Amino acid sequence: MNAAFWILSIITVLGALFAVTLRNLVHCVLSLILFFLGIAGHYFLLRADFLGAVQILIYIGAVAVLMLFAIMLTRHVTGDEEEREVLGGKWWAGMGTAVIVAGLLWAVIRKDQLTAVLPAGGATTSVAEIGKALVTDWVVPFEAMAVLLTAALIGAVVIALEEVIRKR
Amino acid sequence: MRFDSRSWFPYNERAFEGDYCLETVYQQLRTWFANAPDAVLFWLSVIIPILFVLAVYPGIFAYTTLVERKALGRIQNRIGPNRVGRWGILQPIADGLKLLTKEDIVPRRADHIVHFLAPVIAVVPAILLFSVVPVGAGLVPVNLNIGILFAFAVSTASVLALFMGGWASRNKFSLLGAMRAVAQVVSYEVPMVLAAVAVVMVVGSLSTLRIAHAQSGGILNVTNWFVFRPWGFVGFVLFTIGAMAESARTPFDIPEAESEIIAGYHTEYSGFKFALFQMGEYLASIAMAGITVTMFLGAYNGPGSGPGWIGGLISMFWFFIKLGFMIALNIWIRGTWPRVRVDQLMGFAWKLLLPMSIVNIIAVGFWHYITIRPLAWIITTLWLVVWFGVLSRLAATEGVAPRTYRYAS
Amino acid sequence: MSIPLSSYLMLSAFLFAIGLCGALSRKNAIIVLIGIEIMFNAGILNLMAFWHYKYITMPTAYMFAIFAIAIAAAESAIALALVIAVYRFYKSVTLDEMTDLKG
Repeated sequence: MNAAFWILSIITVLGALFAVTLRNLVHCVLSLILFFLGIAGHYFLLRADFLGAVQILIYIGAVAVLMLFAIMLTRHVTGDEEEREVLGGKWWAGMGTAVIVAGLLWAVIRKDQLTAVLPAGGATTSVAEIGKALVTDWVVPFEAMAVLLTAALIGAVVIALEEVIRKR
Repeated sequence: MRFDSRSWFPYNERAFEGDYCLETVYQQLRTWFANAPDAVLFWLSVIIPILFVLAVYPGIFAYTTLVERKALGRIQNRIGPNRVGRWGILQPIADGLKLLTKEDIVPRRADHIVHFLAPVIAVVPAILLFSVVPVGAGLVPVNLNIGILFAFAVSTASVLALFMGGWASRNKFSLLGAMRAVAQVVSYEVPMVLAAVAVVMVVGSLSTLRIAHAQSGGILNVTNWFVFRPWGFVGFVLFTIGAMAESARTPFDIPEAESEIIAGYHTEYSGFKFALFQMGEYLASIAMAGITVTMFLGAYNGPGSGPGWIGGLISMFWFFIKLGFMIALNIWIRGTWPRVRVDQLMGFAWKLLLPMSIVNIIAVGFWHYITIRPLAWIITTLWLVVWFGVLSRLAATEGVAPRTYRYAS
Repeated sequence: MSIPLSSYLMLSAFLFAIGLCGALSRKNAIIVLIGIEIMFNAGILNLMAFWHYKYITMPTAYMFAIFAIAIAAAESAIALALVIAVYRFYKSVTLDEMTDLKG
């Protein structure tokens, strides 16, 4: 299991690193897809099978395709998605913040030395339990999520719709 | 492969718990070679299912291409390929050799990495889909608890290949073809998944083995197939239409219509990469046929299928017969129906298929909660027929002109 | 399983920092959204690590993760629609050029 964890972690970290540092936007999104695959692998390793499948279905199947469409619709001419300058205005502030956050988290995690062990047996929350929980205990968030997704769908269509500019 | 040769009567529910395939092949090998080292048996139990999938299904793909060309030829009043070997038997090998030895042309301004990866991403999900299709009683390459969800997750991952192929070619026609292909695939995924949800609701599990097991029993192991239930029949039709649109087969083959968009997203591909795109498309349609057989046509169930060696072999026979029937249905529809227009395509998916699949889910609810069986049949059938009538009237865009037939004299 | 919980927490912290760095220091709006997605996923991985090691028989954290993934998907859809709408006005997605509200 150790080898699986390290291989998946390397894939995930490399995917995330390349997703934020490459020049070509489409390559960034492809690297992001590798990152999502690594995270899905971690979910399978953590015995959350359903969540791993949902991650692949939603993130790789929908969110990544959405990003590719957005890249395609927001450029001038074919072949223009290479950036001339990659870093933004005050990029050192961003990197500094990230380094400070990473350092703080590292210090806190290292201090606690959490070595929790897994309970014995193959216990896990099964998909049937999740389904049952979704319609008994968690029915209100479930319905609210449905309303949210409908609102997001309609909102995205309305925002991205071409307006007809009336000439005065 | 899981091959459980113990008796299953009374049905051994433990056989369908989430034990992954590795354990069961491993146990079987352990009973045959009791004193072999552990690591060897472990790696053998990993490699045997992989070899099965890689040997059987590309072989089926190769001969499906031949059968398709001959069948289309007969439908179009001509003989298909018959030059290479008797009846064209060696045609797939000739095609493979031809495509392997062709020059691999990559446009100079194309994005080389993405151009190279697109065919790979087209093929890998198609092969992964075969790992959850049960080919015989208890025989499935990987026994996942979330089998059907895994199948849909990897089939949505194949959408990326369409987009990457069209984008990396730096060709406006490829891009346009890719956009239309992605719109088509994404639109038809939704009614397909909702039609599968109806089956999952009845069985109570996402595992393909349990779905297959739930369709056993009945007269001759046949009457329990889900296609013979009202909601199952509607689900079967919806899923088959969705599966045909997913793998871009006629009448939904706008993505590769030569008269419309040259060749869509695989215009700039030649040689083996083009062969990989074709292979990905055919393998996806065969895999979707396999999942249709699993969910609606009773997977491996048929007269004589059951536990044990003889029953297992008979169940494998029935599975491949049904898979052949679904492939033949695909080929038949390809040969006889014309291509739909892009706007007709989208209207069909969103205005008719999606509401129909939601109505189907409600029909399953009725079926489950009305305990008097004849009443459940009547109410469910009436519900589905009435809603189909209403939705098809509402979704119709234009009438059909009266047909005039002209015959060759 | 011999991987301690702190390994998972370090991994998700590191991924979060990478996402944060990308979201704060790049010029292209879409890369910022990519960084936000990386941060989301790192957080949910953290949650599932705790679920695995302490609460594996309870579905609470699992539910939280499912709803978080759904909300993240909805949010990225809206954000990308906004990027497309903004592109139509500014004719670019570079954040340095969107300075009309400044000063």
